[in-house]
Amino acid sequence: MRDFFNTLRIEWLKLKYYRTFWILLGIIVVCIPAFNYVIYDLTDNSFPKINGQNLLGNPFSFPNVWSTVPYNAGILVFIPAILIITLFTNEYSYRTHRQNIIDGWSRSRFIFIKLTQVFILTLFITIIVVFTCMYFGLHTQKGDQPKAGWEQLRFILFYFVEMLDYSLLAVIFAMLIRRAGLAMGIFFLYMIIEQFVVALGRNKYKLTWVDYLPEEVSDRLIPQPFARRILAPNNNALWEKNVPLYLSVAVLYIIIYILFISWRFRKADL
Amino acid sequence: MASILSLKNISKSFGHIKALKEVSFDVPAGSVFGILGPNGSGKTTLLGIVMDVLSPNGGSYEWFGNSPSGKQRREIGTLLETPNFYHYLSAQHNLEIAAAIKQKPAADIERVLKLVRLYERKNSKFQAYSLGMKQRLAIASCLLGDPSVLVFDEPTNGLDPSGIAEIRQLIIELSCAGKTIILASHLLAEVEKVCTHVAILQQGVLIKSGDVATALSQEEWIETGSAEMEKLHAVLMRLPGIKNIIRHGNHFQVYFNLPSPKPAWLNQHCFEQGVVLSFLQPGKKSLESAFIELTNHASN
Repeated sequence: MRDFFNTLRIEWLKLKYYRTFWILLGIIVVCIPAFNYVIYDLTDNSFPKINGQNLLGNPFSFPNVWSTVPYNAGILVFIPAILIITLFTNEYSYRTHRQNIIDGWSRSRFIFIKLTQVFILTLFITIIVVFTCMYFGLHTQKGDQPKAGWEQLRFILFYFVEMLDYSLLAVIFAMLIRRAGLAMGIFFLYMIIEQFVVALGRNKYKLTWVDYLPEEVSDRLIPQPFARRILAPNNNALWEKNVPLYLSVAVLYIIIYILFISWRFRKADL
Repeated sequence: MASILSLKNISKSFGHIKALKEVSFDVPAGSVFGILGPNGSGKTTLLGIVMDVLSPNGGSYEWFGNSPSGKQRREIGTLLETPNFYHYLSAQHNLEIAAAIKQKPAADIERVLKLVRLYERKNSKFQAYSLGMKQRLAIASCLLGDPSVLVFDEPTNGLDPSGIAEIRQLIIELSCAGKTIILASHLLAEVEKVCTHVAILQQGVLIKSGDVATALSQEEWIETGSAEMEKLHAVLMRLPGIKNIIRHGNHFQVYFNLPSPKPAWLNQHCFEQGVVLSFLQPGKKSLESAFIELTNHASN
């Protein structure tokens, strides 16, 4: 345990004075609430009100806010991906991944602490999402709405899983490509291509397996929250039925990514 | 003498290129062990394998008589290929990371920075350093915790002549302090001045290894001259152990079958035979010539 905290302290030494890290982290901390505010403003003011009620319902009020904010934050997943790719490819471009091993870390320790870093970063961003949910929930609260039950809070877990899925995929791209700009470009290209394959496969060819592609399956954990009862009344029940499978496949991807990353780093020439 | 590092049939391929072919040798404790070879001969690949950043395709190696581990690497100061540091951090912060990984006290940072004359610039970022300063910082990092074994891969890369002389002096001092030093270089003059043992690689094949005198037999001779060249030639011919005499203008180059012939002995012999020498100078084949001869012989 002492070894673990010592290793964690060394990772902290790498980040403490790294301005890019603090700037990107700051962007994440600001963008999640700010982007949600933009959507809140849009939903609150841009849709007609019937009998004083918003056409879209109250997506930013308790308990709906627990799925609305994670859904919106999920759109910004590319910002943490930029940070993770930057941190990972730095080690390759400075060749410090080699030096850390030469100086006495085992390969397993290096990759373990890098994965821990991704885990902590994902947890931190999830906490930002929780605070954002609470802010909007309390801000828009009218009367005695129930604040949250498991049904709502599970979206926080789903967001964490979604973020971890994307983050680990970003690590794989960083690890294989090793150059920051190229890794980010190919990662974003992959995101677009997968969305294209999903859209084409599902709508044109009626393929169901496309729902289980890496990005898509984790995206499906948090369905589009606006006016779901009006726009897609039948999807709710179907989603409830499928969500355990979505969650299992998304977690399976996480396990596969971790195993692949660890295996690759332990076996490859550095 | 106990082995610090022992290699057994190490092989490494990059695709279809064989970078190392069954290389085996031992590095004795307390030696300054030079790994020699032209660029691309496999020196850095070999050091990369023993520092666990490259995986060998075959063979094994041991540090201090044990299977390799991170714990052993923490007791070895290594500069491999290029200085590898976080560009956005200062020298002080970079060495704090290195010291923490090596589990050495951070208090030692001041000593090593002073040793390589970087203490005044300890707060400058690594990216602001010149190539020579980066190299000196890497050497400072190697010296953290005063390790008993040092591995230097082309340690004088990027250094100016005075920097090269300083590093050479440092290596000699470290060797005198009983450290084992493994030094990979293609600069033979550098190796000639400091190494006690060598391993010579060419295209991934170990041509020879052992102590410098045995591995690279550097033929020795004595050059001599006199006012009476004919008489001198006759006297020299009577010397015991004579191998060959070559005349170059007004002096002779005398080769012997004996190891390290002494000029004083030759002078005395000539004087007793009635020849007064006007010129007397010992000579030795340079390591470079011996190396080229050896590598040419191997490639033929």
